[in-house]
Amino acid sequence: MNEENMVEEKVLQAQIERLQAEVAELQCRQQDDQKDMTFHFRGEMQDALSYVCGQRQAGVKEEEVVSKLEAEVEQLEEDLKRQTQMNGVSLTSCTTKTLRRTSRKCVQEFSVSGHCFDLDFQVEFQISEFKQGQRSERTISNLNVVIDAGDLQCLGSFLSGVEESSDLLLLFRTLRTFSDRCDDRCRTFQHFQEKYPSIVSLPGGHRSEVMTLNHPELPGCVLLIHWSVEVSREGGVTPKINLLTKIPERALQLFPSQPVGGAAEAFQSLLRILGPEAAVESLIRAVGLSQDTDVTSEQR
Amino acid sequence: MEGPSSKGVLGQLSQLEVQARSRRKPPQPRSRVDGLKAEAEALTMRREQLKAEIQTHASLQKLRMSLDKQSTHEEEEEKMDEDSENSQILQLMARHAQLTDLLHAHHLIGGYDIIKTRNSKGVCVSMATAYEGVYLDTYNLEVDLKPTLRIGRHNIPPFIPLDSIAEQGNMQTDIRAFLDSLSRHLNAFAGRKQQLKIVKEQHKSVEVMESNVLCSILVLMFTVPRVKTIVLCTLDYSDHTRCLPTRVCFECEDKELLDSPEWKKNCSLLTETPVHKALTTMTKMGNIL
Repeated sequence: MNEENMVEEKVLQAQIERLQAEVAELQCRQQDDQKDMTFHFRGEMQDALSYVCGQRQAGVKEEEVVSKLEAEVEQLEEDLKRQTQMNGVSLTSCTTKTLRRTSRKCVQEFSVSGHCFDLDFQVEFQISEFKQGQRSERTISNLNVVIDAGDLQCLGSFLSGVEESSDLLLLFRTLRTFSDRCDDRCRTFQHFQEKYPSIVSLPGGHRSEVMTLNHPELPGCVLLIHWSVEVSREGGVTPKINLLTKIPERALQLFPSQPVGGAAEAFQSLLRILGPEAAVESLIRAVGLSQDTDVTSEQR
Repeated sequence: MEGPSSKGVLGQLSQLEVQARSRRKPPQPRSRVDGLKAEAEALTMRREQLKAEIQTHASLQKLRMSLDKQSTHEEEEEKMDEDSENSQILQLMARHAQLTDLLHAHHLIGGYDIIKTRNSKGVCVSMATAYEGVYLDTYNLEVDLKPTLRIGRHNIPPFIPLDSIAEQGNMQTDIRAFLDSLSRHLNAFAGRKQQLKIVKEQHKSVEVMESNVLCSILVLMFTVPRVKTIVLCTLDYSDHTRCLPTRVCFECEDKELLDSPEWKKNCSLLTETPVHKALTTMTKMGNIL
């Protein structure tokens, strides 16, 4: 009997050692897994995980777990909608990778993509968090920005400056403002194209910087409105609107009292006083491009 | 006593005794075996639990990656295999994780973290500030939405002109423009404050003569090496939405020094780069101590 027990003991001990090794290996694998994608198992997520892994509490039904989780997901979707609207930027994906984690320091790498109006972006950055007593300091580093849009010369120096200084917040504040100003331009151009379709044309489409005004009776006389949105290295967004005129010599002789050279400056004054939309409207009427002579005479 | 009859009875008795003794011994090794069996069982359960968790994690990861690809239109929406066990819960878990990450991303990029106030009459907004990659203070304010937009409680410092920003930004019609403008003010202030902090920490030979709470005026005292001349430098940040000064002027007894090309360069340096960086360059070039 004794011998039997001893043999059984030895078998069990060997089994235990094997199991301990297996468990240690699995724990290691689990830790590695956590690095590649972070899942936060708290609250309903924790309950759901326990359910799925077979550790159900007595009497817990699948429907219960599902409905609680659904409610939380709905709440999160609402929150996301609100954030998207208020932040003026739509994020489509965010992946996280944990590079290093100790009790005092955590370094994570993020890859975020989305769009701001019609500017598609993909941004990568690292966030390091140090715990110092009760306070924790977060810093951003290795910022890398890729923006996909037609013509981005105006953003070039700003983007390289922002990558150097890792100013993630400035990047998005500026992108938002830049998008807003481009959107202002686009809406104004479209408005005029719809209102005066025979005069206004947008040679580059309504996302472009140029709107041309053609005189219906005077071919070759073209007024060009060049509306650029400049972004300084500091992140300052400045719309610049300029009037350019293309009027042939013979036409100039027909308008002796209208110094064409001064038109550009006059337009700048109009801009300062009336703002872009009203200034362009006034320009169209003043140069007699509008068919609405009644309204013009009313203004006089 | 030993006779054939005693062998019989005594022998039987002693045999019984031996049997009885041998029956008593196994309980000791038996309980050890039981203990080991229990331990092996516990370890087996733990192993199975870990395997299940790892498996679930792998499924979740796959689902999550698929969701991410769907959002960026790299993949078409797949019909989830309805028969697979726990598919509905796993899908929900993957979506939950994706939403949590997206909300976190909004927070990290400096989003307004807008939440409804308890009485549902308004919202609470968080304004994050950062400079050169370091997250700084976060400010909070409550905005009542009904009956009109009105700023409630907040922890924004008094020298930030909240009311005039609200007016200029047309808060009533465009709350986002107001928030954007306020964020610019707060971030510029945080940036100027941080620059001053770094100047005090890293440029001990430069004396800060004057500064104000808004960090919109800065007067520094430079010492020119070798000649030990003193130059007073005033940095005027009259645009409170910027981290760079609008005006830089020097004061020095030696007028010729200020006309020199080095000091003209210093002037443009201080106008175009943040003060702590400008000072580093000026020190390297040997213009100041």
